[in-house]
Amino acid sequence: MGKMKNRLLNLLLVSAMSVSVLAACSNNNDPKESSEPAATESSDNGTTTETAAFSDISQTIRGNKTPTQEQMDEVNNTMNDTYLGDLYDEKIPSHYEAYPFKKDVTLDVWLPADSNIPDMNNQVVQKQVEKLTGIKVNFITPPVGQEADAFTLMISSGELPDIIIEPERYPGGMEAGLKDGAYLDLTDLMEKNAPNYSEWRNSDETRRKTTVTDSGKLLGFYGIAPYSEWMWFGMLIKKEALEKTGLEIPTTMDEWHAFLTKAKEVGYSEPLNYGSTYGQVFTGIINGAFGVWDWTFMDADGKVQWGPAQPKAKDYLTTMQQWNKEGLLNRDWATADFNQRMASAISNKTAVMMDSPDTMWSYWKQQNNIDFVGALNPVLNAGDKAATTYKNFKRTGRSAAITTQADDVEAAMAWLDFAYSKKGWEILNYGEYGKTHLVDDSGKPYFQPESNIYKDPDGQPVATTLVKYRMHSWPDIRDEHNSNPLIVAEGSYSGDIRKYWTENMDTSVAMPPITFTQDEASREAELGNQLSTLRGEYFAKIISGQLPVSAYDKFLSEAKNMGLDEFLSIHQAALDRYNQR
Amino acid sequence: MKTSLIIKKDVRKNWFAYMLAVPVIAWFAIFCYGPMWGLLIAFKDFKPLLGFANSDWVGLKHFIDFFEGPYFWRVVKNTLLLNVWGLAFGFTAPIILALMLNEVRDGKFKKLVQTITYMPHFISLVVVCGMIHIFTEDEGVVTQLLQLITGKDYTSLLGYSSFFRPIYTFSDIWQTIGWSSIIYLAAMSSIDSTLYEAADIDGIGRLGKMWHITLPQISPVIVILFIFAVGGIMASSYEKIILLYNPLTYDKADVIASYVYRRGLREASLSYSTAVGLVSSLVNFALLWVTNKIASRKSDVSLW
Repeated sequence: MGKMKNRLLNLLLVSAMSVSVLAACSNNNDPKESSEPAATESSDNGTTTETAAFSDISQTIRGNKTPTQEQMDEVNNTMNDTYLGDLYDEKIPSHYEAYPFKKDVTLDVWLPADSNIPDMNNQVVQKQVEKLTGIKVNFITPPVGQEADAFTLMISSGELPDIIIEPERYPGGMEAGLKDGAYLDLTDLMEKNAPNYSEWRNSDETRRKTTVTDSGKLLGFYGIAPYSEWMWFGMLIKKEALEKTGLEIPTTMDEWHAFLTKAKEVGYSEPLNYGSTYGQVFTGIINGAFGVWDWTFMDADGKVQWGPAQPKAKDYLTTMQQWNKEGLLNRDWATADFNQRMASAISNKTAVMMDSPDTMWSYWKQQNNIDFVGALNPVLNAGDKAATTYKNFKRTGRSAAITTQADDVEAAMAWLDFAYSKKGWEILNYGEYGKTHLVDDSGKPYFQPESNIYKDPDGQPVATTLVKYRMHSWPDIRDEHNSNPLIVAEGSYSGDIRKYWTENMDTSVAMPPITFTQDEASREAELGNQLSTLRGEYFAKIISGQLPVSAYDKFLSEAKNMGLDEFLSIHQAALDRYNQR
Repeated sequence: MKTSLIIKKDVRKNWFAYMLAVPVIAWFAIFCYGPMWGLLIAFKDFKPLLGFANSDWVGLKHFIDFFEGPYFWRVVKNTLLLNVWGLAFGFTAPIILALMLNEVRDGKFKKLVQTITYMPHFISLVVVCGMIHIFTEDEGVVTQLLQLITGKDYTSLLGYSSFFRPIYTFSDIWQTIGWSSIIYLAAMSSIDSTLYEAADIDGIGRLGKMWHITLPQISPVIVILFIFAVGGIMASSYEKIILLYNPLTYDKADVIASYVYRRGLREASLSYSTAVGLVSSLVNFALLWVTNKIASRKSDVSLW
C-alpha cells in the first residue's frame, strides 16, 4: 500500500520535472502571423487598360458635389488624373505606363499595422490600389505592440517577405541591412522602375538629400512630404483653466510656475500632465527651456551635443523636483501609459497636457467638448525665443525597402512607385472618390461633410477613420496639412496650433536625418541604449525625489565612462557626412 | 561483442518498450540537443541572413563585453536577489499551505480553498500583470491599504524600486501557491498512517506530528524541488519583469533575462544574448551540481 503510493509519488515527481524541462525546451513561441491570403477577388481589374492620353474630365469632376456612379467609376477605376490640380511648388509626376502590371503577381509586404485596422488586406484604399495597379498584395502584420520582437524574429528566421515597411528597424539601419544581405540596393533600378519616385525625390534639394545614403545609394522608398510639415507636439492648455485662473498663456518658466500653482488652487489637483507616451519625462519642452534637450542636438557652432549633459541640467532637475514636490505634476507620471494619460487628461485634475494637438483635439474637443489652446515651449528669460528640436525635413510618413528575397523586384518597385504618382497621391491621402472625398473647383481634393471620414457607417471616431479610409503614414507623398482629417475637420484648430508653433519657434538646434555606417551603427545602438537607460533612470529618480539633485554628478561621470564622447563623435562624423551629400 | 549481444537480445525481447521510448528520445534529440550547436554563435558575429558560415568568428568578444559592461553586476545581483526572495518566500509558501490543508478535516472547505488557490495559475501572465498594475496604482487597493497602515503618502507602488521585489515575489506566490502545493499534498497522502497512530498513543499534539512526522516524511520531495529551484537561480523569466518594470525600478528590476531580451530581441544582438544565456546556464548548472552534492552528502537524497 505505502509502496504503491510511493511509486505514484515518484511518477508525479518525474512528470513534474519533465514538464519543466519540456517547458524550457519548447520556447520557440512563434508569433501569430496573420498570413491570410489576400481575399480572393474575381474582378480582373475592370479598368480601361489603355495608357494613352486620357480625355480631360476636369469640367465634370471639379466642383462637382453630387457625382454620378459613372463619374465615380471613372475616377476610382482609371488612371485618369486630368481633374487634379497642381497644388504644390513642384508638380507631382504621373507616369502610369507600368499599370496594370504585365504579370500576375502577389507581393508579401511586412508592415506594423495600426491597432484600429487589424486586417490590412481588406483596407479600402489597399483594395483600390490593388485594382488600379493590378498588383496583389498580402500584408503580414505582427501583433500590435510586439512589432520590434516580431521584426527580429523575422530577420532571424532568414525568411523575408518581398517588401518591408519601416525597414530602418533593421539593427544598424538600412545600410547594415544592405550589407547583411537583407535589403536590395535600388540605386541603378530607380530611374527605370520607379519613374514617379525618382522624379519626385529629385524635384527638390532637401528631398534629394534626405533620401540618399552618405555613400550615394538609394536603399528604399521614403515618405516625402510636399512641404516641411508643422511640428506636432507641445504644450496644450485647457481654455477653461485660463479662464478660471484669470492668467495669460504663460511663456517663461516663472510664469508657468505661477500658472500651475494658481491652477492647483482653483481645483486642478494635478495641473500638469508630465511625461509622455513618446518617451517618459523627455518631451523636449520644459527641459528644452534649459537647453537640456532630450537627446542629441546641434549647438550654435553646428556641433553635435547631448542634451542631458548640458550645464543647466541641474537647474532643470531642481525645478522639476520642486514642482513634483508641490504637487504640480500628475502623481503617476513615471508609470502612466497612453490610456491612463488620456483618462486623466479629460478629468478635472489636469489643466495642461504635453501632446499632439491632433490627438488632443480628438480626445478633448471632439469626444469631451473641452476647448484648448497651444502654448509655445517655455523659455527661461522673458524675451527669449522659444526653441524646439522637432523639425520636419520634408521626410515624413514611413519608408519601405525591397528585400533580397523579392521574387519580382520590378513588380515590387512598380507597386511602391504608384504612391508617388498623382493618382496615388489622391487615393492614399484622400481615399475613395465620392464616398470619402470630392474635388473642388481648383482641382484640390477635400473631405465633404458627408464623407465617411466624418460620418462613418460603423460610427467610429475620426481618430479611427483617418486610417480606415485613407493611408495616414505610408511611403507616399503625404499631404498632412490638407488631408489629415483631424486638422481639416470643421472647427478643428489643431492645424492652427501646429502652424503657430512651427512659425514661432527656433529650430536651429534640430538634427537632420543622419545615417550611420554599419560599423558605427552597432556601436551607436549599443551606446545609445546604455545612455538612454541611464538617463531615464537618473532623471526619473531625481525628479521624483528618490535621489538628490547632486546625484546628477554621478550620472554624468557614469555617462562619460560608458562612452559618451565616443557616442558624440559617431554622431558628429555622420552629421559631417550628411552635410557633404 | 558480448555486451552487444546482450543488447540485441534485450531489444528483441522488449521491442515494444523500446518502441515506446523512440518518440521521446527523438523529441529530445531534435528539439533539445539538436539546437545546441547553435551555441556556437556566441563566438561569432552572427547575421541570420548571411548564414552561419558567412558570419565572422569573434572569439570571446561577447563574453568580455558582458563581463565588462556597465550593467553586469547589477543584472547579476538583481537576478540572484530576486531568486533568493523567491526561495525564501515563494518556495516555502506552498509547503506551509500544504501542511495547513493536510490538517483540515472538512472535505468541502479543503476543496474550496484548493480551488481558490489554484485559480490564479490559469490566468495569463499579461492579465496578472495588468491586475498588479491596477492594484498598485495611485488609487489601487494595495496602495490605499499601505497608506492606511503606514500613514505615508504613496503614489503608484511600481514607481518605487524598493517595492519591486516584494511586489514581484508576493504576486508570484499568489499566482502559484495552490498549484505548487499539489505535489506536497500528494507526498503527504503517501505517509504511512500508522506513524500518526503511534504518535497519538504517545500523546503527541498536532504541531508535534507536523514537525516530527509530516515534514520529515516529505523532506525528500522538498529537497529534490529545492535542488531544482537552486538550479534555476540565475534564470528568471523576462516576461513578468518587462511587464512590471520602468526606469524608476531598473536598479532592482533589471535581471539577466530582461537584459538578454532587450539585447537579443530588441537590438537583435543574437550572438551577444546567446553568450549571456550560455554564461547563466553554466552558472545554473554549477549551482545545481553543488546543491546536489551537498544534498546527497547530508541527506542521501539526490538527483543522480
